[in-house]
Amino acid sequence: MDLQIALLLGQDGIVNGAIYALLALALVLVFAVTRVIFIPQGEFVAYGALTLAAFEAGKTPGTLWLLLGAGVLVALIDTVIAVRGGNPGRIKRIVLWDLALPAAIAGLVLWLEPATLPLAAKVALSLAIVVPLGPMIYRLAYQPLAEASVLVLLIVSVAVHIALVGLGLLFFGAEGSRTTPFSEAQFNVGTLTVNGQTLWVLGASCVLIVALYLFFGRTLYGKALRATAINRVGARLMGISTTLAGKLSFTLAAGIGALSGILIAPITTVYYDTGFLIGLKGFVAAIIAGLVSYPLAAAGAILVGLLESFSSFWASAFKEVIVFTLIIPVLVWRSLTSHHVEEEE
Amino acid sequence: MRMKSLVAALLSAGVVTFAYADITVGVLVSATGPAASLGIPEKNTFALMPTTIAGEKVKYIVLDDASDTTTAVKNTRKLLTEDKVDVIMGSTITPNSLAMVDIAAEAETPMISMAASARIVDPVDAKRRWVFKTPQNDVQMSTAITEHMNNSGVKTVAFIGFSDAYGEGWWQEFSKIAEVRKMKVVASERFNRADTSVTGQILKIMSTNPDAILIAGSGTPAALPQKTLKEKGYKGKIYQTHGVANNDFLRVCGKDCEGTFLPAGPVLVAAQLPDSNPVKKSALEYIAKYEKAHGPGSVSTFGAHAWDAGLLLANAVPAALKKGKPGSKEFRAALRDALEGTKNLYAAHGVFNMTATDHLGLDQRSRVMVKIEGGKWVAQK
Amino acid sequence: MKQRLPLLVFLAVLVLAPPLLPEFYVTLLNYIGLYSIVALGLVLLTGVGGLTSFGQAAFVGLGAYATGYLSTAHELSPWLGLLAGLGITAAVALVLGFLTLRLSGHYLPLGTIAWGLSLYFLFGNLEFLGGHTGLTGIPVLELAGFKLDTGREFYYLIWVVLLGAVLATQNLLDSREGRAIRALKGGGLMAESMGVDTARTKTIIFLIAALFACVSGWLYAHLQRFVNPTPFGLHIGIEYLFMAVVGGAAHVWGALLGAGVLTILKQWLQDILPQIFGQSGNFEVIFFGIMLILVLQRARDGLWPWLVRLVPVKVDRQRTVAEAEPLPCRQMPAAGTVLLEVKDARKQFGGLVANDNMSLTVKAGEVMALIGPNGAGKSTMFNCISGVDPLTSGEIRFLGERTDALVSREMARRGMGRTFQHVRLLPTMSVLENVAIGAHLRGAKGVLSSSLHLERAEEARLLAEAKRQLERVGLGEHLFEEAGSLPLGQQRILEIARALCVDPYLLLLDEPAAGLRYLEKQALAELLRKLRAQGMGILLVEHDMDFVMGLADRVVVMEFGEKISEGLPEEVQKDPVVLEAYLGGVE
Repeated sequence: MDLQIALLLGQDGIVNGAIYALLALALVLVFAVTRVIFIPQGEFVAYGALTLAAFEAGKTPGTLWLLLGAGVLVALIDTVIAVRGGNPGRIKRIVLWDLALPAAIAGLVLWLEPATLPLAAKVALSLAIVVPLGPMIYRLAYQPLAEASVLVLLIVSVAVHIALVGLGLLFFGAEGSRTTPFSEAQFNVGTLTVNGQTLWVLGASCVLIVALYLFFGRTLYGKALRATAINRVGARLMGISTTLAGKLSFTLAAGIGALSGILIAPITTVYYDTGFLIGLKGFVAAIIAGLVSYPLAAAGAILVGLLESFSSFWASAFKEVIVFTLIIPVLVWRSLTSHHVEEEE
Repeated sequence: MRMKSLVAALLSAGVVTFAYADITVGVLVSATGPAASLGIPEKNTFALMPTTIAGEKVKYIVLDDASDTTTAVKNTRKLLTEDKVDVIMGSTITPNSLAMVDIAAEAETPMISMAASARIVDPVDAKRRWVFKTPQNDVQMSTAITEHMNNSGVKTVAFIGFSDAYGEGWWQEFSKIAEVRKMKVVASERFNRADTSVTGQILKIMSTNPDAILIAGSGTPAALPQKTLKEKGYKGKIYQTHGVANNDFLRVCGKDCEGTFLPAGPVLVAAQLPDSNPVKKSALEYIAKYEKAHGPGSVSTFGAHAWDAGLLLANAVPAALKKGKPGSKEFRAALRDALEGTKNLYAAHGVFNMTATDHLGLDQRSRVMVKIEGGKWVAQK
Repeated sequence: MKQRLPLLVFLAVLVLAPPLLPEFYVTLLNYIGLYSIVALGLVLLTGVGGLTSFGQAAFVGLGAYATGYLSTAHELSPWLGLLAGLGITAAVALVLGFLTLRLSGHYLPLGTIAWGLSLYFLFGNLEFLGGHTGLTGIPVLELAGFKLDTGREFYYLIWVVLLGAVLATQNLLDSREGRAIRALKGGGLMAESMGVDTARTKTIIFLIAALFACVSGWLYAHLQRFVNPTPFGLHIGIEYLFMAVVGGAAHVWGALLGAGVLTILKQWLQDILPQIFGQSGNFEVIFFGIMLILVLQRARDGLWPWLVRLVPVKVDRQRTVAEAEPLPCRQMPAAGTVLLEVKDARKQFGGLVANDNMSLTVKAGEVMALIGPNGAGKSTMFNCISGVDPLTSGEIRFLGERTDALVSREMARRGMGRTFQHVRLLPTMSVLENVAIGAHLRGAKGVLSSSLHLERAEEARLLAEAKRQLERVGLGEHLFEEAGSLPLGQQRILEIARALCVDPYLLLLDEPAAGLRYLEKQALAELLRKLRAQGMGILLVEHDMDFVMGLADRVVVMEFGEKISEGLPEEVQKDPVVLEAYLGGVE
């Protein structure tokens, strides 16, 4: 291996790591706020990418029907609860968010003929379809179990993952897709060739990380989320709704996931089940960060990306064995350095 | 036609004293899980199959094995013991088919696999007596590729394949034949179907500077190594396997796949075959049926393996019906004998001539070299 | 007899099933049995022990591949294959356990995902194991010259193994080791203080779960007679966990229920959905996922507790403790012997100094009270003395031996019993069993004899001891109630009984009188006087001054982590520094 190859591998690892970093951030966020280990994070990657690909192919993506269906379901459940609870005033809001919004998005999609639109508009439409699924899934699957143990929530996550992968196969088929790059430009840095899409991925990751940092540090909602993450009961006593916090974190997670998918779709092929392993590696990175620290999660993600890239060079058949075995010492180190007097549960 | 089958049904009902039975076909495909892109067109194909053969009604029971051996075995047992099927078709992938061999043989029920490995039917022993398959063996396809490489003056070759049974089967056959053909295999790499990057493997391969590279993957995932090769500026020849032969692959790979060679069943380029080719007619028939149901350009060669399994069955049933009634042990045994006696059956992937030692029965006519030109599959002379 | 009825009916159904049921149902029951064995291990590991594992499928793979390889490549007997499988699994589990069990909290599940994936890819890439394609031709199992080559015959083997495993697990949980295992989830710190080696206990249940999985793999290999990597992947590992959780992860029978429900549900969906939606789509997984979510939303503790409620049979739990020979007791040292000596102790948490310059002694046959305002560092001192937290500097001697480097279970072994400021007990376990944890070190029988219930004599002595201590503290009426159902004051008393079960020289009591009524306090004081008279040393932290002053022989007063006064109760009460601390500190 010479320097040239090492540089190329490093570049590859960092680009992959950037995506893992985004997912890791979302996972940390969701876990901290809701204690849900959000395995289905990866499905949003696939949904985002494949929805965009469907637009490019001039098809109506199946996720649109999922959005409408989930909206109707949420509206039904919430209406029943609102009526039973003698709170019919809420119905207006339910209709607006769960029925009118999806219907408006559907109307746009069917009316606009997305295949003819510029890329940015397609991306916006894809996000508009996929992102609202986040809070809806929270409402349907997790909210009734918000106080359950981490293990039960984890199992629910796996169940949601299974259902979403099944739906993905139904919507998009077994074959993968790619989308057109945001930029076809190529830059030469020394002996390295960097293409535009790579820069997009790195740039978007950095922007998102900074945006999250600002969101949590500077905005009211961000601070409320942080408060919920630190102390659920306390936050509730202070008038911060844990349900709202849950929905908000799932919205962010869905947004980050879908955007990650849209970013990588031009540089790799995305399949209906791509999300799981990407999500898992993001999860590894998040765990390296102890599921609490955002900068460490990003660093962990880059580490996973590099590890993967170099091991695929040295021993490709054993790549996963290497990546996942080397994670164990990292975990042991993490676990030993984290201070643990009291036990959980 | 309907009248005729009604009469036939009445006649057979009159002849037999026990309950009237349809021919029951148990089908097992990998319609979900990692092999879904192979299994789904197969599953779709069974919906197009004839519902009567030789006047007998045929019932297809299609189950999914989720690309998992345990499920495959469980469902095979279900088909055999619950549904009392007369013949098993499946599974899509090699490990599942291998796991099913014992069970089918135990139940003395013929089985037609749609998976690639020669190990499923070779050697024909007490168990494999009952097992047949329709896809070309990896070794036949490997020979076609190495021949083409030889003729193009390739001296060194690198291999990158799926980290699963498909890639493994190819590696075993290809590495053997390449050696016989005096080519040097300079690198052998693996990648996973869902990998987002194969840069590491490609750099490793390119550092050995091979004349040609064989990518052994199926469906759209096989496009990633090729795109990476182009991106990194590889100038040599690139070969793919017949696993990629569907239009989704062309869609995803785009211009990066121009000039790629692959061996494939004739069904892929049926329209380009000379009219004298006996396979042309049967292959076009399948394509027409499939595309009528699923839209133009939707056909895949994997679905055609399922179609061929159906043709084998349709061809064997009349003979078997003479020896026993569907649902009986005699019928199944006779069906096995009839399948083994298949002669000159023109199917979508070639001409089947089974013998007691060859339960595949395909010959040279079952493969053509294809080149991707202008986003189309073009048959090579 | 009546309470055994459902079990007997179940067993009768199991025995009669194969000849009566259609063959495919027997096939399904075989798979349910195989899955149940793995899920049973997960009940022990995850449901009871609180350690989540996604990687059990990999151990199934080890069992299957060991026999698969040996019986095909080397044509060895499958029984040797079983032994080899168990050996390899034990070795791998010990190494993985050593690495991953020290992972706390959420690291552990991820650790199991990591090695689950690693082993899976390893199976697929090792050529001698048949690679991804798999190993064919695995021989039929022979039992005493009898070939088990049909599903109906194999059925009996699977279910005998499974029921044996269920019985062994139930026995194990109802034993001294079992109490230690049950204490892992939510009571680790307490258990350590009672002398339980929790790291060892974790390793044991990890090992048992792995070996169960291995046996299941061995059976699988010979039932299937083909092995390839897919049945041992992460997805299947997740499914095993599903089975345990859906069935009811805290219940042994939940494993069987979960495995049964999930297997049948899948089968049923496969049959029913194509009739509704036609052959074109693949709706099974979608419905499977959605149904699981619904099950968990309706019954988050799994289906077993829900099922038990439906069955009208009143389960009549054991309500007596058999008489047994008392356990041997320690000889108390002569009154006045120095038991505990703390010198210049300092404890720092980061920048916060919790204790500094602390020195105190406790002698045999005296009650020493440690008092001070809230936040003075009394409980920190307790934790340092009992080995829960290490000292930053200074030294602690117990019976002359330097102990400040020892962990809490070593302190229990040396004769120190303690209670906790915030009650630490296992709320769903009975009062008697909670107290019996205190006697952990006074029994010696291990996991194997527990599983076979060969330790009943010792167990009876342990329970009798727990009963004796409970009667001594006045909780003799409540032996079989759930500990969590007691009022808080009585829970504190329960902790004293538990600490007495340690048979200590020195008893550390952290606010034992809090929450007690006047008469109960009187009784407690009476008990402590009695213990003192027997020669036990008692170190007491308490806020109730009447209680302290009426009982203590000597008093140490702390403020801001330091000792500000020491002496007889009446001296201390008059000490101006103390008065300042208690009264003048308020501005």
